[in-house]
Amino acid sequence: MILPFIVAGLVLGSLYALSGVGMLVLYRTTGVLNFGYGALGAIAAMLAWQFVELRMQPVLAYALGILVATALSLLFGFLAGPFLATVTTLTKATATLGLALILLGVMLFAWNDKARTLRLATDTMGFTIGTRITVTQIICLVLATVIVVGTSIYLRRSSTGTAMRALASDRELAAMLGIRVRRVELIAWTVSGTLAGFSGILLSSQTRLEPVFLTFIVIPVLAAVVVGRFRSLVGTLAGGLVIGVVQAIASAFPATSPFSNATPFLVATIVILYLQRRKVVTIEVAR
Amino acid sequence: MTVLQRSSRVALWNPRKLFSPRTIVLIVVLAAWFVVGPSLLGAYWTRILTVSTVFAIAAAGIALLYGRLGLVSLGQVSLIGVGGWITLRVGHLGLPFELALVVAAVGTGIIGVLVGLPALRLSGLNLAIVTLMLAGAFEVVFTVTGFPNGGDGFLGRAQGGVLQQPLARPVLGTSDPEYFRYVLVVAVLMFLVIGLHLSNRPGRAWAAIRQSEAGALAAGIGTVRYRLWALAVVSATTGVAGGLLAGNAGLLDPISFKASASILLFATVLIGGAFSLLGAAIAGFLSQGLPPLLDAWGVPGNLIFVLLGLGMIQAITTAPQGIAGQLKGLVLRIGRAITSRRTR
Amino acid sequence: MTGTLTVQNLSVVYGGVKPLTDVSLTFERDVCGLVGPNGAGKTTFFNVLSGFAVAASGTLDFDGTDLLAMNAAKRARWGLRRTFQQEQVIQSLSAWDNIRLTAEHTGGGRSAVDDAVAFVGLEAVDRPGSALSMLERRLVEIAKTVCGSPQLVLLDEPGAGLDQGETERLVGLIRRIPGEFGALVILVDHDMDLVSTVCGTTAVLDFGQVIAVGPTAKVLASAEVRKAYLGTADVEAGA
Repeated sequence: MILPFIVAGLVLGSLYALSGVGMLVLYRTTGVLNFGYGALGAIAAMLAWQFVELRMQPVLAYALGILVATALSLLFGFLAGPFLATVTTLTKATATLGLALILLGVMLFAWNDKARTLRLATDTMGFTIGTRITVTQIICLVLATVIVVGTSIYLRRSSTGTAMRALASDRELAAMLGIRVRRVELIAWTVSGTLAGFSGILLSSQTRLEPVFLTFIVIPVLAAVVVGRFRSLVGTLAGGLVIGVVQAIASAFPATSPFSNATPFLVATIVILYLQRRKVVTIEVAR
Repeated sequence: MTVLQRSSRVALWNPRKLFSPRTIVLIVVLAAWFVVGPSLLGAYWTRILTVSTVFAIAAAGIALLYGRLGLVSLGQVSLIGVGGWITLRVGHLGLPFELALVVAAVGTGIIGVLVGLPALRLSGLNLAIVTLMLAGAFEVVFTVTGFPNGGDGFLGRAQGGVLQQPLARPVLGTSDPEYFRYVLVVAVLMFLVIGLHLSNRPGRAWAAIRQSEAGALAAGIGTVRYRLWALAVVSATTGVAGGLLAGNAGLLDPISFKASASILLFATVLIGGAFSLLGAAIAGFLSQGLPPLLDAWGVPGNLIFVLLGLGMIQAITTAPQGIAGQLKGLVLRIGRAITSRRTR
Repeated sequence: MTGTLTVQNLSVVYGGVKPLTDVSLTFERDVCGLVGPNGAGKTTFFNVLSGFAVAASGTLDFDGTDLLAMNAAKRARWGLRRTFQQEQVIQSLSAWDNIRLTAEHTGGGRSAVDDAVAFVGLEAVDRPGSALSMLERRLVEIAKTVCGSPQLVLLDEPGAGLDQGETERLVGLIRRIPGEFGALVILVDHDMDLVSTVCGTTAVLDFGQVIAVGPTAKVLASAEVRKAYLGTADVEAGA
């Protein structure tokens, strides 16, 4: 019976996509590919778990976790933003590896890397159509779709969205046009942090609640962003879903199941190589 | 970046200074380290420094790619794994350890080039992402295949703990102090291979390619050939590092070759200094020696991540030459202070 | 004695744009000039010659050698040298290593580097590229073009960023290249004084086409060239 695998794959894929959208919004606006994105989500999930353990109202706990992730993302954007604006995309991304390591270290210091589980109230609610589907899974799917569509509309319609797209194409020109570059960038860091928190909590409930695992889940998430060619939100959604489903189906068969976790990496590698198949020598001096 | 630091970096790669006082000092220090190192360190630290030295070889490869070619590779620990796998596999056939190391170097070199061939056109962020993805894929593969432990079949896996058999250490390095010296000698050889490349024709060609592809072509450089050669050299030396790691305990665990380990090693190279071999040596220690050192000082070991993260951000923003660059600047300043006092 | 470069019906097409249309020219003695307003196709012309742009049609012949049959690196090894508008001195290598880099890939040994260094009169060649002044960088660029056995040297604004005195030093060197190294030199520059003192013959490009060619003084004085090149200046003067 393959249906349960497909459902699980769609859910995991939608979470990859949801995370990917947060990375993409930040990347398109500031040029920063945030390798610390997974760690931000992990912080939100760990805090949420901790607050629930301390008998806090679950919804409040989740909200607090997301809030902290948002605040950390904004803080990093605030502190590092001026420097990051002056360096290459590669250096920007490398700097965020530093952020990932710091957050990971703090988490491992505060909580060890033992397996925990974050039980959402919605995990126990559900219904059966061929296979059992929980409300959490529905939330994941719906939320991913809604956020992708919503962000697309937001980027296209709202003035902040327009400013973000202007920044993505030409930062200096945007500044000359009177766009408050710094403010728009900080908004992007905020939005990205919130999405990181959201997806971190959902991912932890669907996969594993471990700081290291959640921090480096940024790698398969990145695969979804790659499929979206670092541009397209819809492409990222499609990429996430395809990766999730292929991975789940691969795990259903004994012959392929040990390698199923390699799916995102293979897909991303193939897509990057395909996109770069034509080579152009530009006459410029790299400094 | 001051001119002072840069000129010192140029001097390091300059072959005409092969028998300068600093080279002689370096030889003396290494010889002393070879002789008294193990007794100075004690059993525990000898073992840790052995592994640090092994990782310094891999760090030198990362430094070559980053410092000389401007390429970020986030998958080098996977190549250590490949080298280790080959060494164990070939070693269990009964080949002498040294020969197994050579096979590992050639094999890892070939695999590195084959894997890198399609990625050759990539640079910048795309290359970093592809190498990270490949590291993720290798992580999965290692988990499935495991590392040879004297069993049958292509994978060389023995089922069950009873039959498991570690690979014997080389004849010249059976005890821990001996193996420390063995690794030190091989590491110095690998550093020489990398250093000679950097200070000669390939190193110059790589520097030209890094600065501008067009400029390199205009100088008559076959850019594809030199990129491939860089990949081959780095993969082969990293493969040797894997072999040495395999020889240390005789067994390897897939858990040591995760994608995250590659990221950590890359961070230590940035912190140690990607523009000199001294930086690579420091990076090797940071990745393998610092955690137990923190432990010995009673600092929680997990704070290593915080330190590395902060160090990495600092290296990117204010100290691109890393610790090695700062040390060299310090030595130069002290030297100048001494000479100015003498002339007075 | 320098060779002869014969360009016939050369065109370059980028999508819908034609930076060069049906260019036919012969460069045959010592130092030749190539001038034209911004966007006239001068740099594109150099790029085709050196293998960085693809010719849609036409031929490039240098004393019987078909240049288009070789890629950029091969042309360099054959004897084509070029400079770029932005100097390409490698920061992390010493001045000597910068020159050696070209020499060792184009068949020149250490002596070729020493000759080139002596030719441009560069001092303290152990300093890294990052420590060189603009003049020294430009001298390194010239030294790179004369090591090995150059046959055709393309100089794209070699004096950009230099003051009057420095430019004069550079001019002296450029003039000596054909005689001492036997290479044909083609010089692109905006500095008309420089072009008229160095170049025996000059060709003028405008909108990707040759509009004049001949002895430099005559070409630069012709009414057609003045119109293309100084057209706006005349209008401003008349207003």
